[in-house]
Amino acid sequence: MAKEVIVYGADWCPSCKRLIEKLNTEGIAFEYRDVEQAEIGNEHLGIAGNNIPEGKRGIPTIVVDGEMQVYPDDEWLKSRLDFTSDQTPDTKVHDVVMVGAGPASLAAAIYTTREDLDTVLYEKGVVGGLASITDWVDNYPGYPDGISGMDLGENLRKQAERFGAQIELGEVTGIKTADGLVELETTDGPVKAKAALVATGSDYKRLGVPGEDDYYARGVHFCATCDGAFYRDKRLVVVGGGNSAVQEAMFLTKFATKIDMLVRGDKMRASEVLQHDLEKFKDKITVHFNTSTDEIVGDGKLVTGVKGTKNGKQELFETDGVFVFIGLKPNTGFLAGTSVELDDIGLIKTNDKLETAIPGVFAAGDVRSGATMQIASAIGEGATAALRIREYLEELAR
Amino acid sequence: MAKNITIFTTNTCAYCGMVKKWLSAKGMNYEEVNLDEQPDRQKEAFEMSGSLTVPVTVITKHDDTREVVVGYNLAKLAPAVA
Ligand SMILES: Cc1cc2nc3c(=O)[nH]c(=O)nc-3n(C[C@H](O)[C@H](O)[C@H](O)COP(=O)(O)OP(=O)(O)OC[C@H]3O[C@@H](n4cnc5c(N)ncnc54)[C@H](O)[C@@H]3O)c2cc1C
Repeated sequence: MAKEVIVYGADWCPSCKRLIEKLNTEGIAFEYRDVEQAEIGNEHLGIAGNNIPEGKRGIPTIVVDGEMQVYPDDEWLKSRLDFTSDQTPDTKVHDVVMVGAGPASLAAAIYTTREDLDTVLYEKGVVGGLASITDWVDNYPGYPDGISGMDLGENLRKQAERFGAQIELGEVTGIKTADGLVELETTDGPVKAKAALVATGSDYKRLGVPGEDDYYARGVHFCATCDGAFYRDKRLVVVGGGNSAVQEAMFLTKFATKIDMLVRGDKMRASEVLQHDLEKFKDKITVHFNTSTDEIVGDGKLVTGVKGTKNGKQELFETDGVFVFIGLKPNTGFLAGTSVELDDIGLIKTNDKLETAIPGVFAAGDVRSGATMQIASAIGEGATAALRIREYLEELAR
Repeated sequence: MAKNITIFTTNTCAYCGMVKKWLSAKGMNYEEVNLDEQPDRQKEAFEMSGSLTVPVTVITKHDDTREVVVGYNLAKLAPAVA
């Protein structure tokens, strides 16, 4: 027997439209109730009120034979309704697909969704990008006392979703154009859009020394906010002398009793401000200049030391763990074989409209050649890209 | 289907938030062990995962077998909770 299905939504809500399209495609009969009508709005609050996350409107909400779900996902729908197709491929042509959901894409999505452009973001890691895994952000304008990176990322996500941005958890593995559309290959299948924004930022560079892979997550780490807590009252080595290395070493003093910082060159690359801050941690952090990191050694289970060369002499730094911050590597591997042009370090080249060499494909944020590599500038570039994408789509429609 | 799910987390770990969000979106319940609040349980997390990292998600199935997923890894989490 057919199930009784009720959908609460509103005409301005893109995810409601998507749900309705999905039910139609699957041939599932349902009753639509528009929450903009006061009476129905109240009815909806009455049944879903307690389940609506703060700051949200709670639509679409679906009720299947009396069972209610706010923001139903595919999994939920499939387990309750008779979907004939086993997978529901995303056959729709979106206005914009964004690769990555860091500050640049989330800012762009706030703009595109407010312009009523149907926007989907794909994120393989953390929504909020590198900003979300940064302990504390002191230089993002508008927060006089600073803000935790995690909160900043979460705020950006909420703001983008409030206007209807759809964030999918998955990875984009390829990109091409066909029939004037951009086609992305993702871990959830192919996705089509009229335009795309690549804002994939970068990932931590690895050292490439023996022991690094063997002891990954068992003493070798790349994220202090993720793994620092395992080193309470322990010794650590931090490799690197740039902004991230200094910032993260200072964060790690919350846990570790002693930190050896191994810096390859004869001075720090970090900013004056950060070097000045580092001075305050002299009793815990010892900086070793002219020191290369040659090998990470352990007892087979965990790390016990780092072999380095200091001023030409080999030295063993005994430690319980190593955090590596030697710079970043652009996330542009998935563009290999496309006509998107990259610079020497693999960053995407764009023109002053932030367009790449593929028509309809834009780039913004840390992954763009010439970017300032800051959250504020990534957000600025996101906003610019959104406006250029709108112009591009208007041109396309003519 | 999982009988129960335990996630080891810390306050500052953004990937932990992603695992929690993903499970919630699937309508699955979990117990959270915050290692900043319960540092004495770090040893347990390490013994289960062999790793000094969070998130560690421990999925106990109905036949009481266990699967441990280290990190935010949907390719492993999805089949483990299926
Ligand atoms: C330790 C550290 C501290 C920092 N501190 C500060 C600071 O105090 N102030 C400041 O302004 N900036 C700081 N930064 C820099 C700041 O984090 C970046 O400039 C900013 O996050 C860039 O934003 P983005 O959106 O361009 O890229 P990202 O934040 O890198 O986001 C890109 C996203 O794309 C995703 N992605 C990549 N490839 C794919 C794919 N193929 N498919 C799907 N998703 C993909 C990634 O997982 C990531 O989430 C810091 C950086 C680090 C590493």
